[in-house]
Amino acid sequence: MEAEIKEKIVSMEKPHMEAPPDWQPVIMGILCNWCSYAGSDLTGTSRIQYPPNIRIIRVPCSSRVDPWFIIKSLQTIADGVLISGCHPGDCHYISGNYYARRRFLVTKKLLNFVGFHENRVQFSWVSAAEGAKFAKVVTKVTEDIRKLGPLHLYKKENS
Amino acid sequence: MDYTKQIQDIAGRLFSEGKIDIFIGYRNTGFDENQVPVLIHQYKDVDQLLFTDKSVFNLANYLKYEHTRNKRVGLIVKGCDSRALNLMLTESQVKRENLYIIGIACEGVVNETGEKAQNCVECMMPDAVVYDELLGSATGKREYQVNADIRELDEKTLTDRVEYFEEIFENCIRCNACRHSCPLCYCAKCCIDQETATLFHGANTTSSAFHALMTWSLHLAGRCVDCRNCEKACPIHLPLHLLHKLNEKVIYENFQENLAGMTEGDRGAFYKYSLSDPDDFIL
Amino acid sequence: MKLTTYSTDQAGLQAFYEAIIRAHDTYGPVEKFGKFDFKKVNSLSECDPESPIPRTMSVKPLFFPKSAKVMKYTATSAGTELSDTAEDPLAGKRVILGVKHCDARGLQVLDAVYKWDYIDTDYEKRRENTILISPRCDQAATHCFCTSLDYDLETLDAVDVAVINGADRKIYLQARTEKGETFLKENATGLTSANGSAEAEMKKQYETFAASFRLKMNYQEINERMQGQFDSPTFEEVPSSCVSCNTCAFVCPTCHCFKISDEKIRDKGVRYKSYDSCNNVYFTLMAGGHNPRPVKYRRWRQRAMHKFVYYKERFGVNLCIGCGKCTTSCPVNISIFEVVTKVASSMQE
Repeated sequence: MEAEIKEKIVSMEKPHMEAPPDWQPVIMGILCNWCSYAGSDLTGTSRIQYPPNIRIIRVPCSSRVDPWFIIKSLQTIADGVLISGCHPGDCHYISGNYYARRRFLVTKKLLNFVGFHENRVQFSWVSAAEGAKFAKVVTKVTEDIRKLGPLHLYKKENS
Repeated sequence: MDYTKQIQDIAGRLFSEGKIDIFIGYRNTGFDENQVPVLIHQYKDVDQLLFTDKSVFNLANYLKYEHTRNKRVGLIVKGCDSRALNLMLTESQVKRENLYIIGIACEGVVNETGEKAQNCVECMMPDAVVYDELLGSATGKREYQVNADIRELDEKTLTDRVEYFEEIFENCIRCNACRHSCPLCYCAKCCIDQETATLFHGANTTSSAFHALMTWSLHLAGRCVDCRNCEKACPIHLPLHLLHKLNEKVIYENFQENLAGMTEGDRGAFYKYSLSDPDDFIL
Repeated sequence: MKLTTYSTDQAGLQAFYEAIIRAHDTYGPVEKFGKFDFKKVNSLSECDPESPIPRTMSVKPLFFPKSAKVMKYTATSAGTELSDTAEDPLAGKRVILGVKHCDARGLQVLDAVYKWDYIDTDYEKRRENTILISPRCDQAATHCFCTSLDYDLETLDAVDVAVINGADRKIYLQARTEKGETFLKENATGLTSANGSAEAEMKKQYETFAASFRLKMNYQEINERMQGQFDSPTFEEVPSSCVSCNTCAFVCPTCHCFKISDEKIRDKGVRYKSYDSCNNVYFTLMAGGHNPRPVKYRRWRQRAMHKFVYYKERFGVNLCIGCGKCTTSCPVNISIFEVVTKVASSMQE
């Protein structure tokens, strides 16, 4: 038990903040048009269930994702961010996801450095044929965020 | 490190040969031991110029202002400044033929308390890499070492880091001195200056400071030359270098890229890729 | 008005401060990142009322915070609902320790604009509920020139209680306002009434302090000359190394420009009033795109002229109070003293 509590303290940004009882995580999903968005479509048409906590935004390519989108999502409504693109080598624009990969790593590490848990921002490669994988990824991310609780860091002060 | 005489000679020669319209250098404040950057237009002002280890400010910064646009400019660059200048050249902000560059093989500048500045102790490339004339003797490239503050913070728990950084963002007054002092922040309208209510932050709140500093540091990731103009400019003395040094460390450890702006044409780590970049963080 | 003066020693002063911190909401200069800034304190060990000049920030943020909520709003289908923000955190009764005389004078100067035309009720309330306890400096810092300006530092009535070092390690506590007088009498436990030599000792302390200034200007002359200097070419030369950041205005104890901006998510938002600065290129940008001060020297001219001419014309007090905070905080060490003296003297050429 004690070890569990200790682990919780180490892994959470603000351990003293409790989640309200009816709280549901909100996940911002930014998906590339050519693979992951089609993949998520396949998940739906194949009638595979995944948590409804994800809010999906479609972008032309994973390299369209400015790190600023991630910061912005975390500062407004999201408790976590999932970004998904084509597998390496499959990019519709030849090399977009290779550039994106570099940017994501730095963004993730920097956010982790200033205090966001590393599971708050996650990335995946999901192709148009991987409906089942998309459902698995969303389930995993939702469960990760649910474990971490609501995000309280640097939220926009609008009330 | 004192090149006052050489610099006065060179600037005087350039003015009398009619090679430049403006010379950017340093002069004494006249009140204390600090120095003010100065833009000189005539031969008669040349004797104000000096260069010592108190010549801290990165003069490449002045190339982005209206004073120097489309003029022939002479300026002094240290190692880090010259790499910033190289990036500005690469990103088409200035024209090389308009510049006369006096490079310095730098021995390190001192901070307020008179000690050698931290970035100079850790400096990897103290010699100017782009110049028309080099003062001092070049010592060459040095080994990369992880910044001491980064190492210390990395060992802390997440909760401790949250507390540490919350204090930083809370104390920021958003004067934007960091951005204005950065030679690589040359955008005519900065994205963090916009005030659309739903998207951006106009107020000086903690969340707005977080948004501004994070966006700013990510825009400089892979381009930052570690001249620390931002940190020296900060009136609150926030340790802004932490954000840049962390980016630098991640980029070095994962992509083996460091020292932005070593050659003209090199646009930094985010403008290239390798098939073998780390992939293990991706689901 | 006959001012009450008490005398005590270093230990007595510490006890006086400690008693105040126990009994009142107290703010004091707290060290952060190697510089001093005013924060709420719970014990004397947290702050240093005697902290040296220059400090980063003055007491201005405690009266005019860097960002304050003005109102809240919610957009509904029936229209926009407005509501008041929560209670002003700075409006309660409070005491501020370790305010420098120049900072206090800054507030007095700000009163002129805040109690002019429109009366800013928040500011007024904060001012009324605050007691300023100010140790007088013994030594001028590099960029100080407060003695040269248009106010009398020796008998300044902007501070409520002045703390002045006397001879033989004696410390005098002198009430300067009625508010200060009442406060001092209420909290005078352990202090003794000062004897006859107090006046002379305080005068002597002031004289040694005034003699320690390196920067001196003839204020009358500067003010008169600056009035005709709007087109002076010196404005283009001297601040050409300015990087157009907002630091000088944000740290200045008397700069009072602000901008109004919204923070909004979906249909809920808050309107904020935050610092703004005339050195910012967007400060004068109008809808439609015209900007009357697009270049650096025009913005600098506005700043210098406002500090030394316009405010004096309108309100009868000089806006610059000579604290030197802008100069010490400036990224490129531009000195307003230097700019102003150079501009004023350029007429003779």
